[in-house]
Amino acid sequence: MKTDPRTKLLLIVCLSTLAVIAVDIIYLSIIFCVAAAVNALLGTNIIKVLPKMRFLLSVIVFISVAQSLTVKGGAPLLYIKNIVFVSTAGLLYGGEFALRMSIVILSSLIALSTGSRDMIDGLIKMRIPYEIAFMVSITLRFLPVFRDEFSNRLNALRLRGFDLKKAALGKKLKIYSYLLAPAVSGSIIRSRELAESIESRGFRAFGKRTSLRDLTLKSADYFVIILTLACAGGFAAFMYIKGALL
Amino acid sequence: MKIELRGVCFGYNNKNPLIDDFNCTFESGKCYCLKGRNGCGKTTLTKLILRLLVAQSGEIVIDNENIKKMSVAEISQNVGYLFQNPELQLFAPTVKEELSFPFELNKTLTQETEVRIEETLRQFGLTELKNSFPLLLSGGEKQRLALATIFVRDIKFLILDEPSSSIDCEGKQFLSELIADFVRSGGGVLVISHDEEFVALLDNPEMLWLGEAE
Ligand SMILES: Nc1ncnc2c1ncn2[C@@H]1O[C@H](COP(=O)(O)OP(=O)(O)O)[C@@H](O)[C@H]1O
Ligand SMILES: [Mg+2]
Repeated sequence: MKTDPRTKLLLIVCLSTLAVIAVDIIYLSIIFCVAAAVNALLGTNIIKVLPKMRFLLSVIVFISVAQSLTVKGGAPLLYIKNIVFVSTAGLLYGGEFALRMSIVILSSLIALSTGSRDMIDGLIKMRIPYEIAFMVSITLRFLPVFRDEFSNRLNALRLRGFDLKKAALGKKLKIYSYLLAPAVSGSIIRSRELAESIESRGFRAFGKRTSLRDLTLKSADYFVIILTLACAGGFAAFMYIKGALL
Repeated sequence: MKIELRGVCFGYNNKNPLIDDFNCTFESGKCYCLKGRNGCGKTTLTKLILRLLVAQSGEIVIDNENIKKMSVAEISQNVGYLFQNPELQLFAPTVKEELSFPFELNKTLTQETEVRIEETLRQFGLTELKNSFPLLLSGGEKQRLALATIFVRDIKFLILDEPSSSIDCEGKQFLSELIADFVRSGGGVLVISHDEEFVALLDNPEMLWLGEAE
């Protein structure tokens, strides 16, 4: 069965919202399992996309480890005399962060199983203007461009004789902030060029667009939508009662 | 300064090597012109020299030291590199800062370097654009700025990747004079160029081919 993009969008929104509002590691684990299961059911090829997200994943791991080491509280697990290195509270904190980010990533992967064409159609059906729907789908395509802009500039800096590996942390941060600005403005300039190129190919030349293929929600979609809303709502309510909401 | 490439092999994937057993030596005080068909790996070869990419086999030696032991930053102390698309090597908010910020970061911005920056701006005709946003300059201006960021430091070897693609006649004249001056003062230059008109402006360059000749 081919799932309607609108159903997938709803799943993405529900899962990532739950991930952001839940605070308890047990609930987060449950949401994580559900997100993984949804991906498995929809047939996203997770193994194939993981290597492409190496950088993002390593940042998440880095932050989680940093949090486990810096947040103190609960029972000390690893310590020398009075100095606590790892505590239960720190571990929980780091684990929650890692889980939360993983859920957000997993749920955005749901979108990968849909072509950008279908995604645009789905958004239009939800009464979102074509231009905006188009922009959303283009944004996804621009993430790699942005990454390239950044790594190119990093290389350019090394070519001016900087050794980033040797730089102190403070200096490194300063350098990264220096690189972020042109990467952003570079991406904006590039997207403006893209917009000009699209306009020159006749985008928006005619008013209302019609579509050859029409998306219709099938009964299975209605079933999934109702199930998703009910489960997400029920789960949120349950967590609220248990006091595990943000 | 001497850059030697011995039996260099490189491929982006294991199946078909792009550069196969390339040998040559670049010396100071000379100008080299590298030619080859589109996509034959010229840009890739220059990235190997700067160690932005690492050769699968063979060795690259700069002044008798294998670059395996050097970092990109160390190599760049002596080798300047102009990107095919110079826009990618600009990042500061203004033209002037583009030249000054490496010194600021290294805390070596002295009266002397200030003077040198002003001089370089003048040399590359950028004084009037001092406060402009680098990414919105024209193609030729971006290239001059990128060159200025290279020449504001003391380099011994210069690599130019298809430098004449985005500049007009006047720009080509300026660039060829810059190269001639640099070579005369003892620097070495490697130019990648297809542009016969531009190559004709160079002073007796040594021609090199990558891949089979056209
Ligand atoms: N990062 C990369 N990954 C894979 N293939 C690449 C990469 N960069 C360049 N190539 C390919 O390698 C070949 C040589 O590229 P390049 O060195 O830029 O050629 P040119 O001689 O025109 O400068 C081209 O076919 C190009 O598609
Ligand atoms: Mg090239």
